[in-house]
Amino acid sequence: MADTQLTRLTISELAPRIRAREISPVEVTEAALAMADRLQPTINSFITILHDEARKQAREAEEALARGDYRGPLHGIPIGIKDNIATGGILTTVGSKVLADYVPDEDAHVVKLAKDAGAIILGKENLEEFAAGPTSINAHYGAVHNPWNLDHVAGGSSGGGGANAASCVTFASLGTDLGGSVRGPGSYCGIVGLKQTFGRVSQRGLLVTSFNGDHIGPLTRSVEDSALVLQAIAGYDPLEPSTVPVPVPDFTADLEKGIKGLKMGIPSNYYFDLLDPEVEDTVRRAIAALEELGAEPVDVSIPSLKYHSAMRFAFMADSLVTHEPYLKSNREDYGPTVLYRTLGGQFVLGTHYAKALKVQRLLKEEHARALQQVDFIVAPTMPNPAHRIDQETLRIRDVEQPVRGPGSGIVSRCTQPSNATGLPAISVPCGFNGAGLPIGLQLIGRPFDEATLFRVGHTYEAVSPARGRRPPIVDGG
Amino acid sequence: MHITDETLRAMIRDYQGFELSDEELALVRLEVDAYTSAVEDLGDLDLSDVPSGRQLRAQEGGQS
Repeated sequence: MADTQLTRLTISELAPRIRAREISPVEVTEAALAMADRLQPTINSFITILHDEARKQAREAEEALARGDYRGPLHGIPIGIKDNIATGGILTTVGSKVLADYVPDEDAHVVKLAKDAGAIILGKENLEEFAAGPTSINAHYGAVHNPWNLDHVAGGSSGGGGANAASCVTFASLGTDLGGSVRGPGSYCGIVGLKQTFGRVSQRGLLVTSFNGDHIGPLTRSVEDSALVLQAIAGYDPLEPSTVPVPVPDFTADLEKGIKGLKMGIPSNYYFDLLDPEVEDTVRRAIAALEELGAEPVDVSIPSLKYHSAMRFAFMADSLVTHEPYLKSNREDYGPTVLYRTLGGQFVLGTHYAKALKVQRLLKEEHARALQQVDFIVAPTMPNPAHRIDQETLRIRDVEQPVRGPGSGIVSRCTQPSNATGLPAISVPCGFNGAGLPIGLQLIGRPFDEATLFRVGHTYEAVSPARGRRPPIVDGG
Repeated sequence: MHITDETLRAMIRDYQGFELSDEELALVRLEVDAYTSAVEDLGDLDLSDVPSGRQLRAQEGGQS
């Protein structure tokens, strides 16, 4: 099988063939490495490609199969890891010059779990410097390019993972989402991005992050694959106090149940207030499709979202505290967008920080009330399709803001609320704009009810206009 | 609420240990202005009897 044909498969398509020993982990890994080597000069999605380590892991995976030691659907599957997630003995830069030579002693908990499940670590993926922005234009390692249009951003901060999974280099990537950094690249690159419930997945080994709402989550080419990856990385970690000791269900058990009778919340405020017109049209069509599939629409209101910008206070202050030791010793090593945005946190008053946490409480309560009326909420993922790499600001109606750095925030306005609430949210491709750039539909669920999001997303995927479409560069176009 | 350039410059110098040029100060100002604008958005919202978000886990809300 040609490299491209092989790497185009999803995990759920490939795993049974690996298990049956029709396709070997070595063959899959060689195909993925060939794709990585071919596309890296074009999309710049990796900081480090792990040729030797991946081949060694693939041989071990093959030997395990020969012994009858099949570890599950990720066995022999090449995945990428965002470069702010620790990998023992392997360079982990966090996309920064400050940590350009940093090599952790041990793997992050999720990396260990992925390896235990048989996954092959193909490389460490490019990102926004310190994962602090939505573009993955990196001052030190270059911009990640969107595989659908190389002049456009891949989204961020997990842009390398988004570009890799979309262009069939990896079968999945583990990104991180503090304000939309998994769902945003999912939307911009036309793939599935999941931010599961806060506390579902351990953050141990996630580097240089704010404590307030970060999540490690998967980027995949299908909803079913998202469920399979979450299955491997979810669970209570006694060494990570933010994880919650709740049972981890079989996330694929309900995928084929359909959505007839499920109640779908359509927000009457905030989420649809500031959108690119093509995004709004496409998302509204997706909502109509969900209704045709049997979901019952219910209007829901979350009034406190008008105060949502207060969450910025906590983000600013947390960010400064996180960076303080590096700022004092390595100021010259910072790129400008992260440096000047971070320094703004010096001025956040304690009283405003306290107010932000109270607004966070209001947001949680109102989302909880809405989710007692409905099974899930639908919204756009991003307010726009991926913008150009050389674009400094984004204008929607009468609002214009920088796309990243000081004063930015407009592109993450629909994703950030779920970081404040901790609720699970998934971005599923729902179409393209006139220029051929992907658009994402966001589904927001009840706490620890990722299974319903997978069920809805999987059902919708079958009728999505984006179904099965891959960027032309996958086939060399 | 307005934070003067002198205050911005002095606080960065005192807390972070370095001076900012005028051009750098203008970039920090963008973020600080976004902050003060968000403070104004809160207006007269009464939060006096609202508990902190830190006291509620996602697990505790929303299950019907």
